Amino acid sequence: MRNPLAALSADDRALLRRRLRTPVLTFLALLALLAVNVTLGATLPFAQVWIVELLVVAVMVALILLVSMEVIHEPPLIRLFSGLGFFWVAIMVGMTLTDYLAR
Amino acid sequence: MSEPLAQGVGVARAEHFESVAQQRQAATLGIWAWLITELLLFSALFLVALITRIQHPEATVAAAKHLKFWIGATNTVVLICSSLTMSMAIEFSRMGWQRAMVRAMLATAALGGLFLVLKGYEYYADWDEHMMPFLSHRPFALAETPAARLFVNLYYVATLLHALHLFTGIGLLLGMTWMAAKAGFLARHQNWIEVYGLYWHFIDLVWILAFPILYVVNR
Amino acid sequence: MSASGSIGGTARREPHTPESTIGRKPDYLHAESTLRSWFLATDHKRIAILYLASITGFFVIGALAAGVVRLALIVPNGAIMTNDTYNKAFTIHGVVMVWFFLIPSIPATFGNFLIPLMIGARDLAFPKLNLTSWYVFMAGALFTLVSVVLGGVDTGWTFYAPLSTAFSNTWVLPALIGVTIVGFSSILTGLNFVVTIHTMRAPGMTWFKLPIFVWTHYATSLIFLLATPVITTALILLIAERAFHIGVFDPAYGGDPVLFQHLFWFYSHPAVYIMVLPGMGVISEIVPAFAQKKLFGYRFVAYASIGLASVTFFVWGHHMFVNGQSDLASLVFSALSFAVAVPSAVKVYNWTATIHKGSLRLDTPMLYAMGYIGLFVLGGLTGLYLATLAINQHIHATYFVVAHFHYIMVGGTVLAFLGGLHFWWPKFTGRMYSEPWGRISALLIFLGFNVTFFPQFILGYLGMPRRYATYPAEFQLLNVLSSAGATILAAGYIFPMLYLVYSLWFGRKAPANPWNAKGLEWETASPPPTHNFLSPPEVPRVPYDYPIQAQEARDQHG
Repeated sequence: MRNPLAALSADDRALLRRRLRTPVLTFLALLALLAVNVTLGATLPFAQVWIVELLVVAVMVALILLVSMEVIHEPPLIRLFSGLGFFWVAIMVGMTLTDYLAR
Repeated sequence: MSEPLAQGVGVARAEHFESVAQQRQAATLGIWAWLITELLLFSALFLVALITRIQHPEATVAAAKHLKFWIGATNTVVLICSSLTMSMAIEFSRMGWQRAMVRAMLATAALGGLFLVLKGYEYYADWDEHMMPFLSHRPFALAETPAARLFVNLYYVATLLHALHLFTGIGLLLGMTWMAAKAGFLARHQNWIEVYGLYWHFIDLVWILAFPILYVVNR
Repeated sequence: MSASGSIGGTARREPHTPESTIGRKPDYLHAESTLRSWFLATDHKRIAILYLASITGFFVIGALAAGVVRLALIVPNGAIMTNDTYNKAFTIHGVVMVWFFLIPSIPATFGNFLIPLMIGARDLAFPKLNLTSWYVFMAGALFTLVSVVLGGVDTGWTFYAPLSTAFSNTWVLPALIGVTIVGFSSILTGLNFVVTIHTMRAPGMTWFKLPIFVWTHYATSLIFLLATPVITTALILLIAERAFHIGVFDPAYGGDPVLFQHLFWFYSHPAVYIMVLPGMGVISEIVPAFAQKKLFGYRFVAYASIGLASVTFFVWGHHMFVNGQSDLASLVFSALSFAVAVPSAVKVYNWTATIHKGSLRLDTPMLYAMGYIGLFVLGGLTGLYLATLAINQHIHATYFVVAHFHYIMVGGTVLAFLGGLHFWWPKFTGRMYSEPWGRISALLIFLGFNVTFFPQFILGYLGMPRRYATYPAEFQLLNVLSSAGATILAAGYIFPMLYLVYSLWFGRKAPANPWNAKGLEWETASPPPTHNFLSPPEVPRVPYDYPIQAQEARDQHG
């Protein structure tokens, strides 16, 4: 077994750096986006801030799906399935709002 | 997968599959199909929150301002951390670093546990502030705006359902970690880690949606 | 035992004993015979049999409740039973028939048994999950039966709030929990089918070589995945509403009962297609086999299945025209509802075009299929009346609606179920049923069904509301007629149960392909061996490769 970190060979350390690069960068990006939303939520700078907040959330969701869950590396079928649920949520919300926004 | 699996890491074929590739594909598609159902399950709750907001804007804002914004934010950070450790566990499994993988999985479970502890504390604080309108014997802090009760109760349904998923997830993760620590696991069941990882990431994703929808946009 | 005995005595073998039974591997029914081997089975064929037995039990319960309802309606003044008893009877009928018979009926039995056979696979992708789904189903069933035994439910199968949350004094909670649980069973079945159809097809079995049965089950499975979670949420909220008064569906706190209906029908309208699409798949297999003719317009039928499964998600509001939703929503939902007629009609035309100039054999499965087509057309066309906003105001919540959906669900799904059961019975059991009894029962059911439900169209049009134990005296004749029809229908249901069970022991042994039908399930033995095929099946060049082809196809190919 190859732990702890200090005992790693130079090759292994390079391998580790290469393999963990994407997860760590994703992690940092998610934290940064969350910081934006928390700041906006805490300060409420203007009335329509919820639009910005939802956009930030959309970016976070896309990051998790595409990078953390590796959808970009998957075959088309999995990509289709990863988007299908969101499309159906849009149908559900959209058709329900034809009622509630027109009452 | 961007890089090939290390030597000695793989999947043992079950008898009803023709090939390992077919078996892996079936497992991945299966978990994605399951995640679709999870998304719709929670989205229906989010839709109810949206309708509540549309029908009772003031009451919903009043209710949302009572939620523990900073605990929710901290919990989001905790889950983002657990996503990182889960991603690390998956990478270690591909590299064949079994012990590192087991530790990353334990860290993930611990972070999930931390989330539940914080959530429990949050519920306690809610109780303390008389923000549990579903308890018939305890007066509700926002009783003068009856519709506030809708959003607050919806918050409990949504967060409890999420916590239930997380709790189940931690249980599964610990069970799998116990098996994954044994010799030869990575040669037979490496894709379990990947499939489980997708579930864990998705439960995080649900919280990434729930936090702004419940705590942030209605403030 | 007998197999090894005959191997030992090959020399003394009777000359008329068929060669193929000597030394053959035992089929899935005889591979093991312990209770354990059934209740812990992971073979999709055995799980299908478990489902078949359990849903038959539920069908009997639901049918008995229907009998009670029809009994009560013989007299107009409610003298036979109290309102409460009547409400419980129709609720048990609806809950059991919809959630525990119609929804799992064809997918969980025939789909489970046949999809791996039809695509040339050894099993479903997740055999243990398949077994789990049956246990989940039985757990849900247990809760619902408990509620029935404790005293019943009176909300109707739709569990509308606020009746179910604030007013009903009956055992709503266990019933709700049961229905919630049974949803997970649907999800697991649907997930298994989707993954199996995508990943487990035999080499060469491309999408456009798949039988329509597989296409319709794929479409059904997508609905299972995309719709069921929403009703799970709706039911969870309903349970919370009843147990903790959370308020989201309670007008007293500003909640909105119509919101429950939106969530409910987002699932329950597509659920109509969960019930109908698999039946369409069955009919698409039976009709070409008994016309010995290639299915007309194969690709259109395949696309129409996916089309129905998609369009059905845009029309749920047509159940809510008089419930206070916005006029815009009613308009949009009404307009989109008419679109459902297009893929439905595509299928009906293609079946009739397949029959046209075919070499018809009117055996039992084909009689059911012909009945299905006729009744589905009537049920579908009366759906257009209901989708029309102005007419809907007149016939909403009347017996017209009851007749309409019984034409689709009994005339459609139940006839397809019985047709498919007779068609594949030799494959399931290795035995032939009695053909004369089969034909008599099929005709009885068709007759009994129409006598039961056609009068209800008239009753509804004349204004008799559904879900009441009493009615004006002038409606008595039609109600008595309807109840008399139900008696004929009951006889038609009892006969198959008797002669099919009889055939298990005394029926003629079935050959591999008794109908001279096409499809991989007929290439293997009846009943099939444990892993379905002893040698990998050869995928045909085209689907439904029957001797007779449509004129157009012959012209095209010269």
